[in-house]
Amino acid sequence: MITRRLQYELVKRLAAPLLVQLQGASKRLKGRQGPRPGSPFGPPLKSVALLKDLMTRHYLEGRYADGAVPVAWVTSGFPVEILRALGFFSIYPENHAALCGVQRLTPELSDAAERVGHSRSLCSYARTDMGAVLLEKTPVGRLPRPDLLACCTNICQTVLYWYRCLADHFKVPLVLIDTPFVYGESQEHHQQYVRDQLEELLSVAERIGGRRHSSEELVRVARLSHEGTLLWGECLAESTNRPAPWTGFDGFFHIAPIVTLRGSEECNAYYRHLLDELRHRVRHGVGGIKEERYRLMWDNLPIWYNVRDMSTLLAENRFNIVVTTYTNAWAEAGKRMDPTDPVGSAARSYTHIILNEDLDRRLELMTRLAREYHVDGALLHSDRSCKPYSIGQVDLKDRLAREAQVRALLLEADHNDPRAYSTEQGNTRLQAFMESFA
Amino acid sequence: MRAEYMREQKRSHGRKVLAVLPIQYPKELLTAMNVLSMELWGPPGAPRGPGASRLQAYVCSVARNAVAFVQAGGAAEVDAFLYPHACDSIQGLATLIPDLGGEDKPALHYLNPKGGYRPSSRRFVAGELRRLAADLAELTGEPLSADRLSWALDLHREIDRLRARLLDGRARLDMTDSDLYAVLRRGEWLWPEDHLAELKLAASRLAPMGEVVQRGVGLLLSGIVPEPMSIFDELSSMGAYVAADDYAAVGRRVVRKQLLASEDPMDTLAWLMFAYPPCPTRSTSLGQRMDYLDRLATRSSAEGVIIHTVKFCEPELFDVAGIKERFGARGLPVLFLESELEAELSGQTITRLEAFVELLTQRRKS
Amino acid sequence: MSGVAIGVDAGSTTWKAVILDDQGQVLASRVAPAEPLVDQQTRVELARLRERTSTSSDVPVGATGYGRKRVGAQRAITEITCHARGAFHITGAGGVLVDVGGQDSKIIHMGPDGSVLDFAMNDKCAAGTGRFLEVLLGRLQVAWEDVPALVASARSAVSVSSTCTVFAESEVISLVAEGEPVEGILKGVHQSLASRVAGLAGLLPPGGAVYMSGGVALGRAMVDALAAALGRPVTVLAEPQLVGALGAALSVR
Repeated sequence: MITRRLQYELVKRLAAPLLVQLQGASKRLKGRQGPRPGSPFGPPLKSVALLKDLMTRHYLEGRYADGAVPVAWVTSGFPVEILRALGFFSIYPENHAALCGVQRLTPELSDAAERVGHSRSLCSYARTDMGAVLLEKTPVGRLPRPDLLACCTNICQTVLYWYRCLADHFKVPLVLIDTPFVYGESQEHHQQYVRDQLEELLSVAERIGGRRHSSEELVRVARLSHEGTLLWGECLAESTNRPAPWTGFDGFFHIAPIVTLRGSEECNAYYRHLLDELRHRVRHGVGGIKEERYRLMWDNLPIWYNVRDMSTLLAENRFNIVVTTYTNAWAEAGKRMDPTDPVGSAARSYTHIILNEDLDRRLELMTRLAREYHVDGALLHSDRSCKPYSIGQVDLKDRLAREAQVRALLLEADHNDPRAYSTEQGNTRLQAFMESFA
Repeated sequence: MRAEYMREQKRSHGRKVLAVLPIQYPKELLTAMNVLSMELWGPPGAPRGPGASRLQAYVCSVARNAVAFVQAGGAAEVDAFLYPHACDSIQGLATLIPDLGGEDKPALHYLNPKGGYRPSSRRFVAGELRRLAADLAELTGEPLSADRLSWALDLHREIDRLRARLLDGRARLDMTDSDLYAVLRRGEWLWPEDHLAELKLAASRLAPMGEVVQRGVGLLLSGIVPEPMSIFDELSSMGAYVAADDYAAVGRRVVRKQLLASEDPMDTLAWLMFAYPPCPTRSTSLGQRMDYLDRLATRSSAEGVIIHTVKFCEPELFDVAGIKERFGARGLPVLFLESELEAELSGQTITRLEAFVELLTQRRKS
Repeated sequence: MSGVAIGVDAGSTTWKAVILDDQGQVLASRVAPAEPLVDQQTRVELARLRERTSTSSDVPVGATGYGRKRVGAQRAITEITCHARGAFHITGAGGVLVDVGGQDSKIIHMGPDGSVLDFAMNDKCAAGTGRFLEVLLGRLQVAWEDVPALVASARSAVSVSSTCTVFAESEVISLVAEGEPVEGILKGVHQSLASRVAGLAGLLPPGGAVYMSGGVALGRAMVDALAAALGRPVTVLAEPQLVGALGAALSVR
């Protein structure tokens, strides 16, 4: 335990930064030329290099975390502040799955999960990660074994089914924050339920983490988390400018720190840096794409394995995604956070997540975003792997047109599994949609 | 038939009628407040009408069929809807159905806490029950009375006792699966007292302890809802029968635990909500679910297991690998069958069932 | 010598039959495209087979395949049981049998005595069946008999990621349009199908042979792709299309 701890600290403080610097330097030597001639995109964001460093360091630390510090595997919408305040290192299987998705590793990993009897109808994030666990194969080298699984149902119930399988596999405790679905307004006994569970979580996490929590530490982390979500929100809001200084697809990648490092100083430092760059671009009229003629909103998760192709197709036709309901979710949460009341405000903010609210609330949000970001249309990714996000989209599409005058396209795909997506059909439909604006 | 029954219930007994989506909800509360529940499990068959394409094809057919059915006017005569929180899809329907159908009927909710018993969820259930009672009182114009609730709890306890006797004593019951399930599933829409009368009649056909009436290959069936019901006749023609039931619509809603009656019937009801057999939609641990299924299989001497689930039903599907592994280790064959609430079983499905029964028969011989 | 048992496999794409002698050897067999009126086809075809082998009309008939209940046989048994029986008759050993047919695919785990331990079938869509190959060969305008040579000549496989037949069709069209070599695409198509079938197979027991039957087993390219996907050598049973009919005949012998 002590040597493991030493090893971890060594990696965290010395080796990881050094390694990352070396890697970064060699990549920067190669990649400083700016956009390729003929590219429809604006100059690449310089922060990307920093983002890569940050995430590489995170996963590198992860390799040495188990046995050194308590490790939790956590869902993206989990009130992680409590765990962070108790010194947990956290891994986000969703973020990890997305990483695999971008590298098109899902078919192979999913096959492994399917071989033990998991259906291909299951969420492709879950299949990807369960496959990675079974094969012990990951693009990040190694994932630390969890001491605790922490699951919050505010994004879907699927994570709970998935984490039950993980709990069975790793034989470790699963803590659940069950956030009652919000129809209209969240009720007092719903809030009470979430607060009660957060208290229960505290005692479980204290036991596993082997230390008592300190209120000051909790407030400190909650403050950082609040600040981080506000900063992230400011970054996104820069795209209300015309042209938007980056694309919504960029946002899909830059979301990683607010998901996985929320509540840490390094996360916030990163977004301050990104915000500076975005503001600089706005001041100089530099856009995410060279020529921004039409502005679109994106709904649902990205199609991770196809982001590059699709963003190119859009950019070539002078369309930019300027806002996505997905990346906005982490900014939205900040509005209800109150660091002086970390538990009570977590109960509120983590319950009122877009995916945990009814369709009327979603439509309200999308209508507001459409107005604030001056969008001309919307792409609704009908995601085979994400039922809660996709159910009701047919209705949303009609209502967006009727009530908000936003024309939308329903695009059938899957966020992680390329086998369930037809690039040809997708491109044809997208092309036809774009032509309708001319 | 259901529609006529519902009208009669309204007319003769002044009852309000709720269309209820799957799966678990405090039916005792409805009964106590003179509210009849009409459960919407499908109906089977391809979704028809203008509502058929309002949900994507990868959403389960329980949800899709319900939307199509309601939009085609199938629930025009009910007084309100109740949406228990079963899964992501049903939760979505709660805002979708009113929106699509232009229905002005009240939408009531009951949120099942997930993850099994915890002090926090016990407190939450009490809150949910109070709120639902208040919503029902608004619908009926009558507040809940403790006496009526005690009466309803007793009535449903008697129903559960009989349902458990029929299911657990299946090998002694001189009835076909088709007939038994017809009786059990009529409970989805009959007034509980009428249901009880039919159950009593069925229970009179139980042979004395120790006598075995069913000699076919005994199966454990697990899934959401036994549709199409013709699966029972097919199994029977192949020489098999349902020895143990773990359908969410049937066996998983039978409470077998003895509960201590509390002074306050609301308190008893709250405890009852934690006494149901494990169901992945409420997410007790995988281990607890497997232990329960294991006990079902052992008690019924089932020779094989059929996982007969609805396609795209995530809560069910995530457990399949674990169930297969568990029973595989015990040497109990498992058949995995996905249904889309078809009106009839496909030829391929029949082939699979038949091959499975052939396999089990062969094992019996050797 | 005349036959003592007849087996009919009334499948959805082809109609197959065998006649066995008293040693369990195949006296005569027949493979024909399936006709809609399977009872009529069976009557006509069996009469010819009987005549050819001087087999009397009271020799019992066992039937399998989708039309098994409509051909007036003494016994109707599912393809799964029949394939296992037929395979065991040929090999005398247990193992895993992969049958890729026109409309469906099956994986059958057999015990050392040839009994069925477990089985899996594709769901109702055409992914993972012979139909997938048929559609894509049509798209590539490649004749069935040219496949092995073409695949063998491919320098590398062009990845075809879609396993859904409809999606794969449009994917293949665009690959051709992008100038990818037909041989490479063809190899990719085979790999895609093999991966789907391998997925159906689940975890294979350690050791133990893997056999293949069904019309698709006649194509060497598919057998190789499947062996690669499973990471095991795959043995094609003699007369792979007749294994089901053989099992059906054995059931009435």
